[in-house]
Amino acid sequence: MYFAGVDIGSTMTKIVLMEKNHTVLSAIKGPTGPEHRQLANEVMKMALEQASLQLDEISYVVATGYGRLNVPFADRQITELSCHARGVSSLFPDVRTAIDIGGQDAKCMKINNGKMVDFVMNDKCAAGTGRFLEIIASTLGVKVEELGDISLKSTKRLQISSICTIFAQQEVVARLSDGENLEDIIAGLHDALSSRVAGLARRLKIEPDVVLTGGVAKNAGIVEAMKKNLGCELLIPEDPLLTGALGAAILAKEYFLKAMSKGEPSLPKARRLEKATFFE
Amino acid sequence: MAWFIGIDIGSVYSKGVITRDNELSAFYVILSGGNYRTAAERIRQELLTRVNLTQDDIANTVGTGSGAGNVYFAGQKVSDIVCTARGINRIFPSARIVIEVAGQSSKVMRIDEQGLVANFVVSEKCAAGSGWFIEVIANVLRIDIEDFGPLSLNSKNPITFSTGCAVFGESEAITRVAEGIPKEDIAAGVNKALADKISSLAKKIRVEEPCGICGGGALNIGLIKTVEHALNLRLLAPAQPQIVTALGAALLARKEIQGDP
Repeated sequence: MYFAGVDIGSTMTKIVLMEKNHTVLSAIKGPTGPEHRQLANEVMKMALEQASLQLDEISYVVATGYGRLNVPFADRQITELSCHARGVSSLFPDVRTAIDIGGQDAKCMKINNGKMVDFVMNDKCAAGTGRFLEIIASTLGVKVEELGDISLKSTKRLQISSICTIFAQQEVVARLSDGENLEDIIAGLHDALSSRVAGLARRLKIEPDVVLTGGVAKNAGIVEAMKKNLGCELLIPEDPLLTGALGAAILAKEYFLKAMSKGEPSLPKARRLEKATFFE
Repeated sequence: MAWFIGIDIGSVYSKGVITRDNELSAFYVILSGGNYRTAAERIRQELLTRVNLTQDDIANTVGTGSGAGNVYFAGQKVSDIVCTARGINRIFPSARIVIEVAGQSSKVMRIDEQGLVANFVVSEKCAAGSGWFIEVIANVLRIDIEDFGPLSLNSKNPITFSTGCAVFGESEAITRVAEGIPKEDIAAGVNKALADKISSLAKKIRVEEPCGICGGGALNIGLIKTVEHALNLRLLAPAQPQIVTALGAALLARKEIQGDP
């Protein structure tokens, strides 16, 4: 029995295929792409190939994330909050607070016994999201993956406005022309992003264990800055991008087994591995 | 008779005014660019050239704006809020409320009969709540900033932006252009989004007529109409809304030397 979780984020599409016992057979990340939400079928093909499976062999597919409504081969859509909470608590059973910094939003969830009990999110403003780092990296002519390592070399604390991405971008240009060092500027930006996200998280009472996920958690500089701003230790999954897709796959299994036990003929009709026709 | 200069160094534009006693003689507006000190110097030179004077003829200069410290030749540095209030009071003595839509933020202030600030609120430093949003979207639409307001007035169906962020708003505008939505509807949508932010700011202060509007945002006639609609009142807009703060600075430079009135 196989299950799939498909997480269509604003920037990346993530797919996890797993067995009933939670053994992960394939975990694939691909860009969501400028065509936006239309590439889910391509990423699914890659995932199936890696696991040597056919789509018909998948018992249940759950889609989540920003583009979850546009996955024609999904059996059910579940919000990314529920999927993240489920994915994180499967990896870290003692998690009480989960912070996810995605490409275009940031969310903080309170988790109790594996269930999400409260959340806050920012999906209205680019500051405090991955988009902030992408814009700044391109302004600085640095790859977004390099930001973390560069910032760790910083020896000086620079204050950069945390309020608006566009103005932070202008501020960065001004700091460069003032002769400030790249590593100090990037460290200042990480601090700005972290204080924004920590401010969001503090609207919920932060309790350990605290887990940080999302693509931004791959940035070691952000992890350090988040620890400082939150004043606590952070747990990071081995691949912080995959928790939503993992949670979706686990929820797929749970829905399927529940339906089976009730004897519901819930099961997949013909699924089509084709692109969404959202824009057509 | 004496001459005074007011220079307002903003994040996007720098503005200068020269007055003879209390009368405006000339003004000059340039992009601030990367070096505010150079901008201040260029403005002073141009103002002096326009009235055919030299620095020795200037009795006093006041610097204001976020880059006020770069007006190194100024006698005093005065906060932009104080200067804006003084400037609008000169142009519209009856106005008790002023809305300023500037490059990095928006402000709403209440002023008294003498042009002194009684109360004010300033927006977060947010591009979507300031004139910068207009610049960003004008760039997406590939239109000149001067054409933005008149174009937006043609709209019958302004779009609604789904977030209050200029970064996301830019992506959204690009998507709408690709979908074939007319430019005027996108421009009018920007005015609506900005007017919403300004009116929620204005609600923190009891807004009433007569109410003035200034700052670069007030060059956009569409924005003025939309804010009027949102606040349900008429706005007084000066012919040169960008130089109100610099004018106030020049008037305060005079007051420093000659006293009231």
